[in-house]
Amino acid sequence: MASTEELLEAYAEWRGRSNGNPRLTSMVRGWDRVIHFTTVDTEQGFTMRVAGQQLSELTVGHEGQPDVVVSGSSEDFCDMFWGDLNPSEKYMSGEITLLGSQQDVMRIDAISMVAFLDS
Amino acid sequence: MTDSTTALSSRATLRRALGLRTVVTTSTGLAFAALEYLAAAGLVVYVAGDSAWIPIVVAGALALLAYAFFGELNGMFPTAAAIRLYMKRAMDDRVALTITLTYLTTIVLVIASDAFIVGSALAHAFGEPAWVASIWIVGLLTIAVVTNLRGITVAGLLQDVATTVVIAATLAIGVLALVRSGHGLHTPLQPLRGHHPGDFLEAVALGVFLYSAFEWVTTSAEEVRKPASIQRGMLIAIGILCVVCAVATVAMSHTLSHHELTSAYPQLYLGIAALGHSGLWVMAAVTAVTALNTFNGGFITASRFIYGTAREGSLPRQLAQLNSRAVPWVPVVALGVLSAAVALVVALTHGWQVVVAVGAALEGMIYGVAGFCAVRLRARAPDVPRPFRVRGLRVLGPLGMVLFGALAVLASVSVQDKFDPAPLVIILVAGALSAFYVLRVLPGIKEREAARRAARPRRRPGR
Repeated sequence: MASTEELLEAYAEWRGRSNGNPRLTSMVRGWDRVIHFTTVDTEQGFTMRVAGQQLSELTVGHEGQPDVVVSGSSEDFCDMFWGDLNPSEKYMSGEITLLGSQQDVMRIDAISMVAFLDS
Repeated sequence: MTDSTTALSSRATLRRALGLRTVVTTSTGLAFAALEYLAAAGLVVYVAGDSAWIPIVVAGALALLAYAFFGELNGMFPTAAAIRLYMKRAMDDRVALTITLTYLTTIVLVIASDAFIVGSALAHAFGEPAWVASIWIVGLLTIAVVTNLRGITVAGLLQDVATTVVIAATLAIGVLALVRSGHGLHTPLQPLRGHHPGDFLEAVALGVFLYSAFEWVTTSAEEVRKPASIQRGMLIAIGILCVVCAVATVAMSHTLSHHELTSAYPQLYLGIAALGHSGLWVMAAVTAVTALNTFNGGFITASRFIYGTAREGSLPRQLAQLNSRAVPWVPVVALGVLSAAVALVVALTHGWQVVVAVGAALEGMIYGVAGFCAVRLRARAPDVPRPFRVRGLRVLGPLGMVLFGALAVLASVSVQDKFDPAPLVIILVAGALSAFYVLRVLPGIKEREAARRAARPRRRPGR
């Protein structure tokens, strides 16, 4: 199980890569969304916002009305934020579950893919 | 809080969630492609007089069987990736992937057929020569590809309106054509009169095709406000499709000549039978609107599925490339090009009834496979929660497998009530190509991907 600190550190890495990637910022143009992450093992909630082509800091707890809800293990989230895990594989195997429109789900997967594409 | 209650409360708070109405219109709209009119007209030749409603009702009962299978499977795996999840749990993944890739052929065929039918209908309505239909086909598919690449999708409300217009107009035109014909129905209760019982089964196989794709709405499972809406919506959609298809088909058999029934636009003649020349324009417009649902649903479903499968590592990575609008552009362009090629071949060969037969056979196959998966998972995954549990699956499952399997075989060797192995050949070629890819190409792709990953150090500190 990953701790809250580990998750926040991993997300900070993800956020930095995403916000510094011109291709990704272009991809999320006009896509302002609230995303809730729920860890099924530690039963914690986190909130991420996308606004003005930038990913916000990850806040602990569920805030606001979500467009997408992503549920998975804290380890999987940590690995995903570090770019060590392909979330699509976990999604296709049912280990990561999502609620939300297919278009929104695609964007989240796009962020996780493009953020680590060049490395 | 349990997982399921967490999921429910999360759904309830989603900012954009689909209600039952949109589920019903999505399910109905996906099934009611322009190809529906040709399949309905094609079904008429297999039964006597105006009794075509009977195989449609029988097919509706079979669709209920398919609904039960998909309902249980979707309840277990309420996700857009459900087909991959339940198939790979129920059978060898190589077999599952081969079947899934073969099934994708149906989507290409439906998109291609719709482009051909809409193109032909518009060319006819505008009094243009038949070859102009090819320009319409390429034009329509180009528009579909460009709008998809730009990330433009049909919003839920627009989809609700479009489907309602198509269904209501088809029903009204069918009823009007019957009323204005001025004479009673011929042998409405004797489908076998002058026909072989095998013809009736053939008609049922085509009838099943009229309902096909209603189950694609299960890919919206993650977007609905209440999970049960998917099952309810599919059930209501089957009821709507049964009534509309029965009325339209009987109206066609009652008012159209053999030449009109075997044309590429029987629905236009039905419009004329109902409302004269203005009816032609009504049905031309309705046909064009059906394309909105087919192109939107077909392109999105297929391209996102291909993208997901490529990201999972089961298709080449190039298929997961995204454009600046986060659209998987390679699958979208490939679908467009492939659909255009198939549509042009159909236009040149006038082989739309072959496409109908291929579609009917593949749908029969996938419904049989769904039955197999539902039965197999009862043994392999007994503990997975089943919010929608089919009663008597031990009997209904094998029954569905046999019935759908038999209908698939029948549909694959018959075109326009004559023996014709062309549909079977097309399916076998698609199946062989899929199997070749899965058995010979995919292992290499997976090996290279594994090597690429092994060569890359983990980024997470301390791991």
